[in-house]
Amino acid sequence: MRDVLYLAWRYLVYHRLKTAILVTSIMLIIYLPVGLNVVVEQSAEHLTARAEATPLLVGAKGSPLELALNSLYFSAEYPELIDYSEATTVADSGLADAIPLYVRFRSRSNPIVGTSFDYFSFRDSSFASGRPMAVLGECVVGAAVAESLGIQVGDTVTSSPETVFDLAGVYPLKMRVSGVLEKAFTPDDEAIFVDVKTAWIIEGLGHGHQDLARPEAVSGVLRRSEDNIVANASVVQYNEITEENAGSFHFHGDLAGYPLTAVIAVPKDEKSGVILRGRYTGDNATRQIVRPVTVIDELLDTLLTIQQFIVAAVIIVGLATIATAAMVFMLSYRLRRREIDTMLKIGGSRPRVASMLLAEVAIVMILSSVFATLITLLTWRFGPGVIESLVVA
Amino acid sequence: MTSSTKRRFRSAKAIELFACVLIIAACTPAEQASQVSNAVHGPPQVYTVNYPLAYFAERIAGDSVKVVFPAPADIDPATWSPPAETVAEYQQADLVLLNGAGYAGWIQRVTLSQSRLVDTTASLADRLIPVADDVTHSHGPGGDHSHADTAITTWLDVELAIGQARAVCDALVLLRPENEAEFLERLSKLEVDLRALDEGLRDVARRIGGVPLFLSHPVYQYLVRRYELNGYSFHWEPQEMPDEGQWRELSAAIQNHAAAWMIWEHEPHPDIVRQLADKGIGSLVFRPGGNRPAGGDFISIMRDNVRALELAIPESAL
Repeated sequence: MRDVLYLAWRYLVYHRLKTAILVTSIMLIIYLPVGLNVVVEQSAEHLTARAEATPLLVGAKGSPLELALNSLYFSAEYPELIDYSEATTVADSGLADAIPLYVRFRSRSNPIVGTSFDYFSFRDSSFASGRPMAVLGECVVGAAVAESLGIQVGDTVTSSPETVFDLAGVYPLKMRVSGVLEKAFTPDDEAIFVDVKTAWIIEGLGHGHQDLARPEAVSGVLRRSEDNIVANASVVQYNEITEENAGSFHFHGDLAGYPLTAVIAVPKDEKSGVILRGRYTGDNATRQIVRPVTVIDELLDTLLTIQQFIVAAVIIVGLATIATAAMVFMLSYRLRRREIDTMLKIGGSRPRVASMLLAEVAIVMILSSVFATLITLLTWRFGPGVIESLVVA
Repeated sequence: MTSSTKRRFRSAKAIELFACVLIIAACTPAEQASQVSNAVHGPPQVYTVNYPLAYFAERIAGDSVKVVFPAPADIDPATWSPPAETVAEYQQADLVLLNGAGYAGWIQRVTLSQSRLVDTTASLADRLIPVADDVTHSHGPGGDHSHADTAITTWLDVELAIGQARAVCDALVLLRPENEAEFLERLSKLEVDLRALDEGLRDVARRIGGVPLFLSHPVYQYLVRRYELNGYSFHWEPQEMPDEGQWRELSAAIQNHAAAWMIWEHEPHPDIVRQLADKGIGSLVFRPGGNRPAGGDFISIMRDNVRALELAIPESAL
């Protein structure tokens, strides 16, 4: 038997180009439906797990998908804004705990997530080092951020301007890292967490500046009357919150009207959740409450439909490929007629020659299957991340 | 350790354990659950932003909770900014009692769990005293604004203090529902003490009537309103000699407000006392009690305040 296998193998190696084309074609035919299935199933599991862990989201009336993707995966596109009072309304209802989210700004490519201290216990986050943010200007970074930027507790990260053309916009805020999260294999790894008030400072809604009534701020005063001081552009506004200047940071007006992208509502129980959802029904409602799992399921349904189309196409192409491969082998045997005759004339029995030809086919099939398995395993390891980033992008 | 000492030690441990089992067995199921929880996690921690709230919580909850007021003794908690490490301690608290009325502005600059914050003047908002900042300023597109807020020493109106004590009790009941009955009982005892204090202040205020008083610092708004005092407020610090302008302001004020007494938050510097005395103005101390006293408690501080007023302005002097 070894001689048969040897001859088959030598034949395939000698005709390596033909063999490679055959192996690649058959490998792709095996891999495409199996790999696609793996990707879709894993992505579905991954996407659904985070959605399932987030019971309800309150946001402005609009696209539920945009609201869910921004709140769960911190996508760059953010939904219409709502007032901070919405978080208070949810909390005051006694039906659910409210965790505010303001996911609008970035530091390089990493999302800055304005939220509250409760976010970490809600997501069951563990700290690799440090502690949650405690005062304005502190931030907590995800494991991937710390790794990619090489930062640790005590270092700083700086917010990026929303647009480079906004010359009159607010200064970037330098934030001190108070903690680094353990790797969670979720979008939290890529995020920078700050208190929602720090996010408002990044936006310029809160700020710290020199006390305009003090003598050292005289160069920053444009006009001074008995009951009003108007500052000029040179008034020193702080772009880093330190122990020394923290007291000067303030917000104008009622914080209840300050913006959020969403509120995570964590109902006390199932009944409370249903009652809370009932409060956001009605045609005139300017707010919506969504179950992220429903939104993500709808997204996955779309993906599954696409998958079914692709699988059907792959099956048709697969049949054509198998037919072509069969034809290649048959033509090959016809071309090898004289070679086969020679083998029979020098004493090779018919079953042995047939075994050799079958062994060639078997080796091609085995090689194709092995390679298909290998790339399916690679897909299983890295595919969901790629798909998730594509979906979120 | 000798073998007999070891034996005695083991026996003592066994007796302690047996006693614990007996005590827990004698409790109701709710008490048992709470004691087991206490044994595992310790009692719930209640943090406060000033001493009056800590006092109310201690009086109402007794040993059922651990009340923590971490401000250093020598500072005014109203203007204190705790370091990040102390804020981290506040983050771990089961309940954080806020005074509201803009007291402890640092709360706006830190990250705390909203669900654990209780504003004890939330239901008294219509009775808070707004304070206008005379000077507004503007920079950027935000328009004119001032950093004015609300008068902060709410508990100096004892009626408001009672309201705050009730809010503290409600929050504690939510935290430890199994202790509701005893909390309510202790609250009513506290209310009795506070009403007695209110009566004492009313008596002395009745005697003072409309007699003009100077107030060294704008922290007595609630006291003035509740007890209908005729006060004129300055912005003087007890240990800082007022500058020329401040003395001139005093001289101008005397023309229309002929006060014979200035009320201070703390003992004023002897030089200030002397200079005021030269102008015929006596000094007396009425401590707001925002921070934990070296001795005594909230009620005793307030009683001392009443006594100081009585001694400084006896009936015969009016």
